[in-house]
Amino acid sequence: MLARVSAIALNTFREAIRNRILYLLLIFAVAMISCAQILSLLTVGSEEKIIKDFGLASIELFGVLTSVFIGIGLVSREIERRTVYTLLAKPIHRFEFVLGKFGGLVITLFVNTAVMMAWFFVVLQVKGIFDPRLVTAVALLYFQFLLITAIAIFFSCLSSPILSGVMTLAFYVIGHLLWSLDLLRDRIASPAGKALCGVLYYLLPNLGNFDVKGEAVHGLPIPPAAVGFAALYLLLYGSAVLAGACAIFQRKELQ
Amino acid sequence: MSARRLRMHPRGPKRLPHRGLIMAVLELSRVSKSYITHLSLRKYWILRDLSLAVEPGEIFGFIGTNGAGKTTTIKLALGLIFPDSGSIRLFGEAADRVEVRRRIGFLPENPYFYDYLTGTEFLDFHARLFGIGAADRRRRVGELLERVGLGNRGDRQLRHYSKGMLQRVGLAQALVNDPELVILDEPMSGLDPIGRREVRDIILDLKARGRTVFFSTHILSDTEMICDRVGMLVRGSLKAVGTIDDLLTREVRFWEVSIRGLRDDRLPCGQIVSRREDLVLARVESQQELKRLLAFLDGRGAALVSVTPGRQSLEDLLIQEVRSAADAGDALPAARDSGEERHAG
Amino acid sequence: MSRVLPAIGPRRGLALGALAGLLLAAVAQWRIEARPVAHADIHPLLYLPSGKYLKIATLGFDGLAADVLYLWSIQYYGNYQIADRYRYLEKIYGEVISELDPRYLDPYLIGSLIMTSEARDPEMALRLLDKGIARNPGVWILAFEAGFICYDTLRDYVRAARYFDTALQAPDVQPQVHRLYASMYEKAGDKRTSLKEWSEIYDTAGDDYVRTVAWNHVHDLRVEVDLADLKESVRAFTASVGRPPRRLREMEQHGLAGALPRDPEDREYAYDPATGAVSYRGGLILAR
Repeated sequence: MLARVSAIALNTFREAIRNRILYLLLIFAVAMISCAQILSLLTVGSEEKIIKDFGLASIELFGVLTSVFIGIGLVSREIERRTVYTLLAKPIHRFEFVLGKFGGLVITLFVNTAVMMAWFFVVLQVKGIFDPRLVTAVALLYFQFLLITAIAIFFSCLSSPILSGVMTLAFYVIGHLLWSLDLLRDRIASPAGKALCGVLYYLLPNLGNFDVKGEAVHGLPIPPAAVGFAALYLLLYGSAVLAGACAIFQRKELQ
Repeated sequence: MSARRLRMHPRGPKRLPHRGLIMAVLELSRVSKSYITHLSLRKYWILRDLSLAVEPGEIFGFIGTNGAGKTTTIKLALGLIFPDSGSIRLFGEAADRVEVRRRIGFLPENPYFYDYLTGTEFLDFHARLFGIGAADRRRRVGELLERVGLGNRGDRQLRHYSKGMLQRVGLAQALVNDPELVILDEPMSGLDPIGRREVRDIILDLKARGRTVFFSTHILSDTEMICDRVGMLVRGSLKAVGTIDDLLTREVRFWEVSIRGLRDDRLPCGQIVSRREDLVLARVESQQELKRLLAFLDGRGAALVSVTPGRQSLEDLLIQEVRSAADAGDALPAARDSGEERHAG
Repeated sequence: MSRVLPAIGPRRGLALGALAGLLLAAVAQWRIEARPVAHADIHPLLYLPSGKYLKIATLGFDGLAADVLYLWSIQYYGNYQIADRYRYLEKIYGEVISELDPRYLDPYLIGSLIMTSEARDPEMALRLLDKGIARNPGVWILAFEAGFICYDTLRDYVRAARYFDTALQAPDVQPQVHRLYASMYEKAGDKRTSLKEWSEIYDTAGDDYVRTVAWNHVHDLRVEVDLADLKESVRAFTASVGRPPRRLREMEQHGLAGALPRDPEDREYAYDPATGAVSYRGGLILAR
């Protein structure tokens, strides 16, 4: 099974690498990080903070866009363009196909994030700044990308690329606003409302778990427990989402 | 192939028109498939109560009009879609069992492949899915490319392949695991006559090696040339199945006579089908008429160029079946065909 | 016109038209922006809700949003053409930026600077800095800034001293702060505490310069404190005995608390029994 999954993963990686969207996004990310340098000249005070904030935000933005744009195409575009037929006519389980696709994007995102991070450090080094804490922040952003990819694949098994793109982006937004749901839960009077908020709060993906940008930029310590918890959350929630995707894909009619 | 599987088919042994009890390579039993459009919420039947068996070692041609359900049948066989009712078995096992696909190869209609891969990479990727080792893969990929006539073009990206080349590499992909059963959906589509001949040769070669080939097509002349048996699908039902001889009456229905140098157009019998310069094509309906015509020509000094017997063709049979199905009013709304073409075909 | 078009050709004509349109738009933009900004024009960013609610729009990019707003605010408040631009000053720094990123220090500092020197509202600046201090307890410079405003602008030395004390709690506080702190007490009139602080600075001084500065203060303060003590003792003696002491030592014999202090040069302080005044034989180092 591993051989088949990895064959598909490598193939998916190759497909992503030769996809022009990837390069476009990467170029934009590099450009934005470079802009951070220029923008920091406008400030009165700490230039370091501006560069760091901007750099991390660029990495997060383009990583998420990559996850979404390539993730949604992974399954639904294959179905649309019927390349999936020859693949599934082979002795391969449907879930192996889904996992292979996910694996390919895991590798792609790793390369992508590494490139962006390397450039980020180059830009920082020009100003003489070096902060290893930023690596932790980027690592957690990478975990976030993986979770979003899993969600994108899930929706990709369900519907067309455009719709799954919209849904995935919606989940990204919701994932960063769950704290307000928590606040709402406190404010709402009715117990039913509280229960609903509570259920939603725990069911929806809490992307705040992967956000240590503030700590990294302000030089505050990032507790290893936070990193560990983020990894665990990714493992559990991501597995659940992928299992759901596999289940959907298992009985999907490939017209 | 255990004897147990031969005997213990739940519905009893398969009765085939002219063979004994042999396990079918591909078998559909009373398969029905419908689909519901999102907008109208109406059910359209693509296949109804279809039963079909393909025997080992034969070339089975699956013919029918566009939208008859041929591709749907094939997708059901491959577990890409699931039947509403009925069962589909490959080598005696349920068609959605993954392991059974080790023994089959499939080429879809109008295939799209990964544009960015080269021919070699593409075949190598598919070979990997069978767990074929690296050295074996290299050898086999090379052999396959040669076999389908793409020997020196393996290094070009698929996006630069012509339609004919894509079809060939698709065929190669279907053969990468040396399958016992090869399923092809419209394998000749988009090919020029040379390409079609090559595909025909490959199919015949497969039979010579003891493989089974099941292919769908709407080019009936190819079918007549190479198929052992033929199944004719009209509007989701199998209207005829058997050898060509079984299906078509072999008696001569008419004669076409080609004559040069006929001075006037009056013939004692038969009709003139066409005329070009001094070449006239006439048709007579029986041997008696033929004899009369030949005698007539003998006396006029016109030259006889050719005499060709016309037999019922598959095309004739298909048209006949389609007409009778339309007359019988197969209780399906007329709008069905366009919906089918989009989704089934 | 009908003679021009065929000469140019439709495609080139369209291209020229597009270019002309762009140019006109740019000129129009330039002319509109060149108009002087009246006080009725309020920049849309000034309508921002409090940072607490703005966080919903920033989707986890709070730090970045704070940066952008801060950058904008520097440009905005540096634009002297905009009259009445300080109306929302406190809101922007106090409610929006500081809520978005409470640990971002520059806005507190620059904001308080603008509030003090440009808007001339030091209390507003202190409110802002109070917020910053509350959220960044380990940062010395915020309390220092606040103390400095109290010292320099408000001349409220007691308050300044309180702020400097807060600043001194921070782990990496600059040593000058301690010196300012000590001076504050002096300015506030509390020479004893000042002396205590200056003595501590002297004891912990890391280099000669600091030690010298500290010694100067300690010297003068010691004199002043001693003189004040002695004056008080003379007064107490006079009140209880009925006449001023004939010699300073007399107070000692009468059991007034403590031994007689000696001056920094280890001499006795001068005493004039006729006037009851105590004085120092030397001169103060620092001009008062």
